[in-house]
Amino acid sequence: MAEKIIETVNLTKRFGDFTAVDAISFEVNKGEIFGFLGANGAGKTTAMKMLCGLLLPTSGQATVAGYDVYRQSEKIKLNIGYMSQKFSLFSDLTVWENIEFYAGIYRMPRQAIITRGEKLLQDLELASQKRRLIGALPLGIRQKLAFSIAIIHEPRLVFLDEPTGGVDPITRRRFWEMIYNATERGITVFVTTHYMDEAEYCDRISMMVDGKIKGLDTPANLKLQFKEKSMFDVFLQLAREKSHEAL
Amino acid sequence: MKHFKIFIWKEFLHIWRDKKTLLIIILLPIIEVLLFGFVLTSEINHVSLGIYDQDNSDWSGELTRSFENSRYFDLIRLYNEQDVEKALRGNRVKAVLKIKPEAEKSLQMGESGIMQLLLDASDPNIARTIEVYIMNMSSRFMKQAGNRKNLLDVQQLMYYNPDLKSVFKSVPGLMAVVLMLICAMMTSVSLAREKETGTMDVLLISPLKPGQIIIGKMVPYIAISFVNILMIIALSVFVFGVPVRGSLVLLFLFSGFYVVCALSFGLLVSTLVNTQQIAMMISLAGLMLPTTLLSGLIYPIRNMPRWLQMLSGVFPARWFVETLGHVMLKDSPVYYFLQPLGYILLITVILLLLAARRFKVRYD
Repeated sequence: MAEKIIETVNLTKRFGDFTAVDAISFEVNKGEIFGFLGANGAGKTTAMKMLCGLLLPTSGQATVAGYDVYRQSEKIKLNIGYMSQKFSLFSDLTVWENIEFYAGIYRMPRQAIITRGEKLLQDLELASQKRRLIGALPLGIRQKLAFSIAIIHEPRLVFLDEPTGGVDPITRRRFWEMIYNATERGITVFVTTHYMDEAEYCDRISMMVDGKIKGLDTPANLKLQFKEKSMFDVFLQLAREKSHEAL
Repeated sequence: MKHFKIFIWKEFLHIWRDKKTLLIIILLPIIEVLLFGFVLTSEINHVSLGIYDQDNSDWSGELTRSFENSRYFDLIRLYNEQDVEKALRGNRVKAVLKIKPEAEKSLQMGESGIMQLLLDASDPNIARTIEVYIMNMSSRFMKQAGNRKNLLDVQQLMYYNPDLKSVFKSVPGLMAVVLMLICAMMTSVSLAREKETGTMDVLLISPLKPGQIIIGKMVPYIAISFVNILMIIALSVFVFGVPVRGSLVLLFLFSGFYVVCALSFGLLVSTLVNTQQIAMMISLAGLMLPTTLLSGLIYPIRNMPRWLQMLSGVFPARWFVETLGHVMLKDSPVYYFLQPLGYILLITVILLLLAARRFKVRYD
């Protein structure tokens, strides 16, 4: 059995009468790429915020990196990284200042910040851009840099919230190569996306509809289970079910 | 603590990179003090004063000369009622002093009402000030002339600000406005920006505690506020001769309390809005206007209707102006500060409680 990095049992979040996340139970294995799929408003972001220690669950249990989300969110925060589409670093700070800031708030020692920061810049071929303001760099480079910085403190788990939104296909390819590299270093990746082709890159996928998990398996098994040729069709089928229910 | 320090450093960098805003928050206080000190002044200098001397005695001549020698007035002699009327109407004079016939004799017999003062009250503030100057000068003249009997029934003594320099009053009010602007508006905008760009989530997911994020946002603006306070005080003392009669330590201490109060306002605003623009609108319309208008900077609070007076108490500026007046102009004993200071602390606590509640609702 693989080591579990996330375990949830009946994890639920209600806002008043509205149930955003409805008793979801799943596990994420150490070192895998776990895709978290669903339409907007399906509850992805709420679920992710609970796992990051940003929102308290209404009921149910969850542990992240072995720590309880109710009582040990401070411990969780030290062991995870986070990056979202909306966020691509502080544009009025230089490349190096952004690196120093993130590494610093994750309490990395001075020497480690310098060595890992320099390595990161070399890997991205950005060593010459060290003193440039982030705002002067193209979006694709910013996203790649943001991802590298999100894992500079070598977290056990990184949450990526629609990381490739608004980025061209070539950069998206490069971005996924970077994700694979991260898993080789032992970092587990928890990624939300609405690009169905990206879903195929994940080791396992959970499909969320209306706060519930409607399917959870490898992309291949999901396609078998729903008798569809692509993840896109699986997604459409689930979405149609939902609209039939609504009728 | 190291990770907290780097957060504060980041905030300083944000401010440093935004040169235009930095320039504004550094220059604004200087411009405002100069503006209020030189332009928006109700003190008088070389006011044209008409004198219609119907007595033409030695006494009235001396009185006239004493006005002539004063730097406050430029004298214009008038010789009949039509002159008086024309001069006032034609804006040649702001006031006319009429000395009645036989004034000297009446004075010796101990009668009152020997002079009449006509004022152009179309600007009531100026008229009121001129009145006070003239009354002061006349009673000083009476004393010098060795006349025991008072020309006027009321003897006025201007305490704390004998020349009625309006800059004395403006400095505390300006500090209140400038600090409110910098602390409340800049923090609320800065927090709103983190939300707008999505960096707030990143910060909240990081090991930084919410309290550290908030305090980290405030620290640079507290530093800038104290630079501003120093500049305003230096300008007012060295350029306008405003005295600081009480202790500087107390002055900085009270300013510190007020700054924290203003920051709490900014914090509350930032929990209510999601964009920088709305944060700025609320800070400007909801805080700057009441702070300027209700703090006593421009309009005296005592002249306001009762309900506005009570409303002005909600804004800390009013109490800050009051404490500053005590410290700078009067050097009053400490127990005079306690009430206004108490109000400032009370407002701060209420604001922080409200902000904490809103912060929890949003992120919990």
